Amino acid sequence: MATLSGWQERLEETALAPVRRTSSRFWALVAAEVAILGWGLYAYSFQLRDGLVVTGMRDRISWGLYIATFVFFIGISHAGTLISAILRVSQARWRTPVTRIAEFITVVALICGAAFVIIDLGRPDRVLFVFIYGRWQSPIIWDVLAITTYLTASIVYLFVPMIPDLALFRDRLKGRTSRWRAWLYRTLAIGWNGNAGQRRSLAAAIGVLMILIMPIAVSVHTVVSWIFAMTLRVPWNSALFGAFFVAGAIFSGIAILIVVMAILRRAYKLHEYVTEKQFLYLGYLLAAFAAIMIYANINELLIHGYKLEEGAGFHLRQLFLNDFAPLFWFYLIGGLFGPIAIVLFPATRNTRGIVAAAILVTVAMWIERYVIVVSGLRVPLMPYAPADYAPTWVEWSILAGGLALFALLITLFTKLFPIIAVWEVAEDHEATVSAFEVTSPAVPEMPAPSGGTYS
Amino acid sequence: MNATIRQTVRAALVLVAVGALTVALAAPAVASHVTVRTSMPSAGAVGEIVPLAIDLHTPGGAPLSGTMVTYYLHMSFAGVEGHALIGRAVTDDAGVASLRYQPRTTGLHQVRMDYLAPGATTVESVVATFDVAGGTQLVRSAGGIDIPGINPGLLMLVLGSVWLILLRVSFRLVAIARAGGADVPPEGDGPR
Amino acid sequence: MPPERAATPESSPRPWAATIPRRRLLRMLGLGALSVAPMSVLPELLRTVGPGRPVEPVEGSRKPATTRDGRIRQWTMIIDLRSCDGCQSVGGPPRCTAACIEGHLAPEPMEWIEVYEQELAGDGTRFVPTPCQQCQNPPCVNVCPVGATFSTPEGTVLIDQDRCIGCRICMAACPYDRRFFNWGEPPIPPAALLADYSAEHQVPARKGTVMKCDLCPDMARAGTLPYCVQGCPNDAIYYGDLEEDIATNGRVVVAASRFLAENDAFRQREELGTKPRVYYIPGHGEAVGRDVLSPGRAPTEWPWTEIVDGGVTWQR
Repeated sequence: MATLSGWQERLEETALAPVRRTSSRFWALVAAEVAILGWGLYAYSFQLRDGLVVTGMRDRISWGLYIATFVFFIGISHAGTLISAILRVSQARWRTPVTRIAEFITVVALICGAAFVIIDLGRPDRVLFVFIYGRWQSPIIWDVLAITTYLTASIVYLFVPMIPDLALFRDRLKGRTSRWRAWLYRTLAIGWNGNAGQRRSLAAAIGVLMILIMPIAVSVHTVVSWIFAMTLRVPWNSALFGAFFVAGAIFSGIAILIVVMAILRRAYKLHEYVTEKQFLYLGYLLAAFAAIMIYANINELLIHGYKLEEGAGFHLRQLFLNDFAPLFWFYLIGGLFGPIAIVLFPATRNTRGIVAAAILVTVAMWIERYVIVVSGLRVPLMPYAPADYAPTWVEWSILAGGLALFALLITLFTKLFPIIAVWEVAEDHEATVSAFEVTSPAVPEMPAPSGGTYS
Repeated sequence: MNATIRQTVRAALVLVAVGALTVALAAPAVASHVTVRTSMPSAGAVGEIVPLAIDLHTPGGAPLSGTMVTYYLHMSFAGVEGHALIGRAVTDDAGVASLRYQPRTTGLHQVRMDYLAPGATTVESVVATFDVAGGTQLVRSAGGIDIPGINPGLLMLVLGSVWLILLRVSFRLVAIARAGGADVPPEGDGPR
Repeated sequence: MPPERAATPESSPRPWAATIPRRRLLRMLGLGALSVAPMSVLPELLRTVGPGRPVEPVEGSRKPATTRDGRIRQWTMIIDLRSCDGCQSVGGPPRCTAACIEGHLAPEPMEWIEVYEQELAGDGTRFVPTPCQQCQNPPCVNVCPVGATFSTPEGTVLIDQDRCIGCRICMAACPYDRRFFNWGEPPIPPAALLADYSAEHQVPARKGTVMKCDLCPDMARAGTLPYCVQGCPNDAIYYGDLEEDIATNGRVVVAASRFLAENDAFRQREELGTKPRVYYIPGHGEAVGRDVLSPGRAPTEWPWTEIVDGGVTWQR
């Protein structure tokens, strides 16, 4: 088994490398992210001092970029759900190299999303009132409950499969890293040494979590959609919102995962593990969900467009022809039809093409959230001229700061924790190798699922 | 001859004048003799529907049917007083008009009933009073949604189940930590 | 399953976890796993499960306004559109709005009662003074996360600016465009700073919270009519009590239910199921001589803000 242990060695080295060595490029990146985050905080200080008047929101369009970004981040957080949970349940082995990052994107996205809700409050000093005086009947309280539960479950779901890898870090980095880091790995590895009892417990925990996190994740974005759907605004008054938002969330989650994986693959030389296959399969999923989104959009738009109730006509005109036309058409063509086209044509069906599709989708989904929020509020309720909304420099700066925070947290994570699920990838590799072995059947003790998609 | 004619004409003129005067005087006198009787509830309470009855007869005793009676109630609110229309009723064959009215305040109620007798040119009214005692709340403020069955208890049940499962997972982690003292099995030991 | 770590020599000393007394370890791990977020859910779990704050008397006010025999008043407003011409005959901004702005020191650009100009199904327009509709199934109360906006026993919907967190979901939920936000520091006259804040009398305004028409229940309880009712030169606005079935516009008294029934009263956007307490008698100002085809009214002004230093203003 010399090749196997050699392969294993290479895998472990790759996982340990970011923690062992830190290049100056890394520090430059962190500095840039901190700078942008600082700029966002500086802009926020204006908002704290003067109130939300520094934004472009007004009485008639009372939600804008902040809420759109909040929905966007919560949507992105479904990356982990799909990759880690759904694909794990269906035992799709190709997803293993990307699980760790998917789970971490989930946690970070939830934190950033929650931050934007608090930024949007008129009285952030009273945010604890939500917990002290919370009303069960309010969609915002459902939101708080769902996101809190999802955040906790995601943190646990990030931590539990990471335990054996943390033990690897603890053992391999002992004496070669700072004291606090050694303490961190020792504590978080909770005494893992791979004996049978521990492995049983781990398997049981992962098994429960991967099933549990799916309904939690579905409920989170459904509840976020209900913040809009529980109002009487014509564009939001739709029974389809829950499913629509969940599909959109998984869609944007896949896209951000592709983008982040592409960056990390380049930065940390993960080419052997995150191959073109991962990008291809994620690309297929992206295209599949684009098709689902097209279907959902057709439902929404056609049902309203056929009848043209009062308000619906105005809304469809502002989406397709007037104020929101450039953004909406970009979302339709670039964000929905684009990925399908890219995956369809062999010329673009490669890593580069799929990463381009993912970038298009990420941008398009943010635009779609923005359009839903702003165009929904813009339809006049009474006889008055429709108002206009344009984000100010404060809002753009805070958006940039939020994105920088997202990037910064992921960047710091890669320096602290194993970005590849080492033991799972190793396990898959052994299964692949032993599946092709012609020797005695006594060798493989790994559960080899039939019909697995191996390269 | 001339004197006789003049006398006759003078007598005729006087007769005509007296006749016209009589008729002129008699006409309103005929209308102003409509007999009116009102029948007000003796013991009414807020929320109870009480009849406010009025009885119209001609001086000859015949009932005045088919006459519209308009009811006004004296009301006072926020410093403004006045008579407010509360309903209309038409007298039936017996000459009785009755309005079914639900009093909404306590205390003395002053009702003014207006009617236009047939042949009359001005509206006549009659005022009556009755007392009303207190009652229970009639209109309630709804405020908020209330769907039986969908209550916070259900929400807590669902949420509690999820958190209990997370708690069980945390016990698994505790088990991992505790098993850390056990011996490591030799290579080749199978999973689960 | 994950590979064993026994091969490496570094793992021969006992694992860290085994050196800690078992009970302490259990406690640490249990608390660690549990402490993350239940702290946020626990207060809600332990609080008595109830409707929150949907129908209750205003804090600080004595008791709900009652009739002589103790029945709770049910405030209502009836607006006779036959008498409303948008103050075209007056030649200035609508006086109901102006009186409300003056009386409540409403910051610019808030129009707690706003006179919209509605197009009629035939030709022409009508003016519709629109205060908060005081819904009995209020979308704003339903969605408020902290119970800052609530229904009172008198049927009015009020806002407690001491509790509002400024999330503005109520503004998204209101289908009548009747809620206003203090986006910046609103102008506050010195006299207002001394006023005792109450949800029935929203003075002084607070930055970062929502405000709206409150149907002046404090004035009604004292037996006076609200500013808009007093301000209307055509006596088009009636204020009343559905429990006592009475309403007045300052000049005449009417039995509310009969007045509404005999004049084909309607409510705005009835199909939404909000069950408003504000009724309208259809018309277009014909009783005061307005021609239905004459459009336009003067824009609203906020003259009181000119005497105040500080505070910012914004657009709707």
